[in-house]
Amino acid sequence: MIAVALRNLRHRPGGFVATFLSAFLGAALIMAFASLLDTASGADAASNESLVTTASVGGGWCLVIVAFAVTSTLTLAVRQRDQQFALLRSVGATGPQLRRMIVGEAVAVALLASAVAVPVGWALGRVLVDLLQNTGQVASTIDPVFGPVALGAGFGVTLTGSLVAAVATARRTAARDRRRQRPLLRRIGAGLFLLIGANCALLTATLMDGKGIDAMQTAGQAGIWAAIGLALLAPELLRLVTAVLGPVVRLFGAPGELALSGPRLSSAVMPVLLFTGIATGTVYMQGIEDRAAAGQIQPAYAQDIQTLNYVVVGMVTVFVAIMLVNTLIAATTHRRREFAQQRLAGATRGQVTGMVALEGVLITVTGVLGGLVASLFTVLPFGSARAGRVWPDASPAAFGIVAAIAVVLTASALVQTARRTLHGPATAAVRA
Amino acid sequence: MTDVVSLEALYKTYDGGVTALDGVTASFPAGSFTAVMGPSGSGKSTLLQCAAGLDRPTGGRVFIDGAELTATKDTAMTKFRRTRVGFVFQDYNLLPSLTVEQNVVLPLRLAGRRADRHRVREILDRLGLGDRRDELPERLSGGQRQRVAVARALLAQPAVVFADEPTGALDLRSAREVLTLLRSVVHQHGRTVIMVTHDPVAAAYADSVLFLADGRLAGSLRAPTPDAVAERLAHLGDRVGVPA
Repeated sequence: MIAVALRNLRHRPGGFVATFLSAFLGAALIMAFASLLDTASGADAASNESLVTTASVGGGWCLVIVAFAVTSTLTLAVRQRDQQFALLRSVGATGPQLRRMIVGEAVAVALLASAVAVPVGWALGRVLVDLLQNTGQVASTIDPVFGPVALGAGFGVTLTGSLVAAVATARRTAARDRRRQRPLLRRIGAGLFLLIGANCALLTATLMDGKGIDAMQTAGQAGIWAAIGLALLAPELLRLVTAVLGPVVRLFGAPGELALSGPRLSSAVMPVLLFTGIATGTVYMQGIEDRAAAGQIQPAYAQDIQTLNYVVVGMVTVFVAIMLVNTLIAATTHRRREFAQQRLAGATRGQVTGMVALEGVLITVTGVLGGLVASLFTVLPFGSARAGRVWPDASPAAFGIVAAIAVVLTASALVQTARRTLHGPATAAVRA
Repeated sequence: MTDVVSLEALYKTYDGGVTALDGVTASFPAGSFTAVMGPSGSGKSTLLQCAAGLDRPTGGRVFIDGAELTATKDTAMTKFRRTRVGFVFQDYNLLPSLTVEQNVVLPLRLAGRRADRHRVREILDRLGLGDRRDELPERLSGGQRQRVAVARALLAQPAVVFADEPTGALDLRSAREVLTLLRSVVHQHGRTVIMVTHDPVAAAYADSVLFLADGRLAGSLRAPTPDAVAERLAHLGDRVGVPA
């Protein structure tokens, strides 16, 4: 079956683009941050500390997001190949053989992606060191090193993440009686992450009170854990938002009714939620810090952290944007047949696009509201610890910008893919 | 009798240079049940799609219910079809996430019209689906799904119902049920049905059969029997002749 796996990769590379992209970007980012640790090993004490802080904060963030992104794209990509699996079954492939094929493909893609990521990770690592040198946090005499830690972490994380995701997906796919995902396990996981997030938030507000900028570490984590917890609850949140907004969506006539009754795209909520949560949380946290620190003597690494926070926000934005586009393209292309059936039932292209747009509204509202809640896990305790006030004294403009980016990303990805999927006559598409 | 559908010199050539329709002129009177038959590649599906406004012919004219199909844009063609044409497909094409009733009213809703609940109930009851109204299609048998598709095609009271191999995916009993249903749609309710099929038994349910070979008309048969249809089908090649 490994041979089939490799042939699939060679002859149908299109199906692996999404998985490859997220693995590649993830590996490159992790390598870049991990290479700071390589660089740190030969540096003076101050530079060393600066490098290690940057690597662990940035790298940790990447780790979580990358593991999440690789897992979700891989799962999605595999789930769309039902037909191929059914075909293989009909010519005699057993469950374990299918499993080996799926895992084999995933490992091959991860290896390839990590290998291609090496030069990019190397270059990004240099950029990071440059950045730290420019702000005077790292001695300018230090040469960036790209060594075993970078390679180990890059390959290790990407391969492990892909492997775990592939095994989990393969088990679900190869099982004869296809049960739907296990909502109980997912909900328990969500509860756990939210608890960890709440715990971090509590720690920030109590233990870290008065510790100044150091409170950022626990505050930042609180937001990430909460965002992941809420992202795992995406199906429930989307259902809730759909129920609340249902009457409004229904006003749009048939496209609205279709949007409400169609398959729920909860997988697309996740990237929107993560993006909104992390970006909003980080930006407001840094804002609180800037105001609190104004006129005070700052520890040397305060600037590190400021730089880093904005780098992280930028990175997360790019990464999540790609993930979002990936997810939406995969999910929408998969609906080619559904769209064609709607058109044969009398829907115009405009009506189908309208339905997709309304679904996009539901997704975005869910993601942005969920992200806002997650960001409060960071912002409220940090404000209380650093500035002595829970609700930040900041304008909502930054959140508005984050939300606007989320809207633009979702809308453009969805509508573009829907347009492409609607191209050509419905009679041909329905057979595909 | 007036003609509900008439085709004037239809030509359809695909990009690769393949000619699917080579000058077909035909008309289908109101209240008739016509089967279109021919071997694979004879152009029968293309004929149906052009006649139904699902595809554009390269040449010729199509009239449905007295109006010429002149639209060339997808949206305009959809709107033209909505009010005049109902469809039944081989693989049903019901939307899996909608219930039976939602599927049936979908074309009306898409046209921005309210569905008369009484009429929907009445049609579903008549088709033996009264108690399956809130089921999803995946819980229905093939025959039941095709009956849902027939109900959907009938609800908007179209001038003509096109059926593309409606029994192609069904077992013998379900196929018979669906064909009997289509027949009663014509004979008891005065609708017009045009059906493409390759099965002589299915074709025998129609009032007349139109034969197609190599994109051209190759004769017709009134009051067909399965044997007579099979006989004609077997000798289609003789009549048209193989182009050199």
